[in-house]
Amino acid sequence: MATCPGCALLCDDIEVIVENNRIKETKNACRRGAARIKGCINRLEPKIAQKPSDIESAVRKAAEILGNAKSPMLFGWSNSTCEAQVKGIQLAKKLGAIIDDTSSFCQGLLIEKLLQKKFRTCTLEEVRNKADVLVYWGSDAQDSEPRHLSRFSYFPRGESRQRGYEEDRIAIAIDVRESNTAKICKGHFYRIQPKGDREFILALIDALSGKVPAYEPKKILELASILKKAEYGVIFAGIGLTYSIKDDFDILVALADKIPNFHIMPMVGHYNMRGFNENLFKETGFVNRVKFDGKVVHDNRYSIVEALREKSIDALLVAGSDPLSSLPRSLVRHLASIRVICIDPCVTMTSKIATVTIPCAVSGVESGGTAVRMDGKIIELSKIIESDYPTDEELLSRLMGAL
Amino acid sequence: MGIDVGKFLKNPEYEIKITTYRDIFQVEAQECDRFGKDYEKLSACIVMSKNDMAKMGLKPGDRVKVTNNNGSIVVEVRESKRDEPGGVAFMVNSPWSNVLVSEESGGRGIPEFKNITAKISLVKEETTTLESLMEYFRKLQ
Repeated sequence: MATCPGCALLCDDIEVIVENNRIKETKNACRRGAARIKGCINRLEPKIAQKPSDIESAVRKAAEILGNAKSPMLFGWSNSTCEAQVKGIQLAKKLGAIIDDTSSFCQGLLIEKLLQKKFRTCTLEEVRNKADVLVYWGSDAQDSEPRHLSRFSYFPRGESRQRGYEEDRIAIAIDVRESNTAKICKGHFYRIQPKGDREFILALIDALSGKVPAYEPKKILELASILKKAEYGVIFAGIGLTYSIKDDFDILVALADKIPNFHIMPMVGHYNMRGFNENLFKETGFVNRVKFDGKVVHDNRYSIVEALREKSIDALLVAGSDPLSSLPRSLVRHLASIRVICIDPCVTMTSKIATVTIPCAVSGVESGGTAVRMDGKIIELSKIIESDYPTDEELLSRLMGAL
Repeated sequence: MGIDVGKFLKNPEYEIKITTYRDIFQVEAQECDRFGKDYEKLSACIVMSKNDMAKMGLKPGDRVKVTNNNGSIVVEVRESKRDEPGGVAFMVNSPWSNVLVSEESGGRGIPEFKNITAKISLVKEETTTLESLMEYFRKLQ
């Protein structure tokens, strides 16, 4: 059995059929996971200034760029192993650089609150064995973490939930659109307006406090009644919810306080985003947006978004991410005017404009290591096939050596 | 022969709210080949309710220009398979939707990926390609 690096569920029941060191077929994986394991068709090649090079020269050039930069930033990390992430943090310390990851514009704030123990959470095994009320809030797990409902939450039998979804579990979706997950939550889909989550939470707190909510009272009272009766409830908080309530996580904590049998779990897409958050938190007390400036400084200015908007960085190392694809175009224009180093197994939009590109092995397929599942459990990654590509951890070690 | 006045008239523009979402088929296509035709086809589209499409005189497969202060793209219209009330259109999270997202985040570091306002109008132009989005960056270099 292999572990899938497709998303932060890190499914460890994947059968892979290998012929002549090539992946022929996967079994049990979702579309996303199968595609990740089979690999991209465009492998990255070592290049300097868009011209073919070799890995050693590219690493030396990358070290030269980072060593000479006045304000370098190291970014990405959510598709890197924990071992590579730790090396990345060491590299940032050595350079006095800014380090940030994709959680900076995703679930970082919620994960920081979780690591600070601001609310109750649980493991996916506890969800499978105990949970009877599942609330997918601003989260379409069916498309983002496609085996969430089938492996852990709604469909499986669990120790205290022997009758599964037919009798023992209720799944609820609160969303702006009727997602594929909402389709499964038959009769329990609550449509909200864009940015309407705050109003919905306040109404729900009112209903749970015995007041008549000002907003859609009938539906909210019905939902409050289901939540109150839960023996073991979980709110799966997606980015639809976290983007909408912005910094106001206290409102979510206040809701959780009204329903003491409930737990909150951030839904994480990239396979090791939570790993980076935990590794940086251990080192600095923060999950992202850190500058090593003799001491640890945490500031929103050190988020990739603000650093690019303010044009405050002059070199960017991108490990396992594609900011040119995933950030607003108006923002990433700045990437065209700075030196970018790209470490990735595949050609990306960012690699196409990078000054230096360095190919690495696909972690969880061509190299092993560890990663942190969305609920915080450490999972071993498998090496399924042999590869000549160095791991991202090895490349970062060589880069530090070359500085 | 009379003059076809219609071709000189600009198609009407409508204001629209857009929110982004994930689609497993598009994610799969991205994993395989983010420069491939499948990824482009599954990304360069906007999903709208029947009501909104009727109001705007749009049919499935029409191409529309979606424009705001941040940029402009041409994408294909798809009709939602759901019973959507309308007022909000949907785009998968991609480099196409990101053309329309503002860089402003109020200093918080999180752009409004899911809260886009734009103008939409029927056009005959081809849909925006990934190559043309890349060309935009190459010209800046």
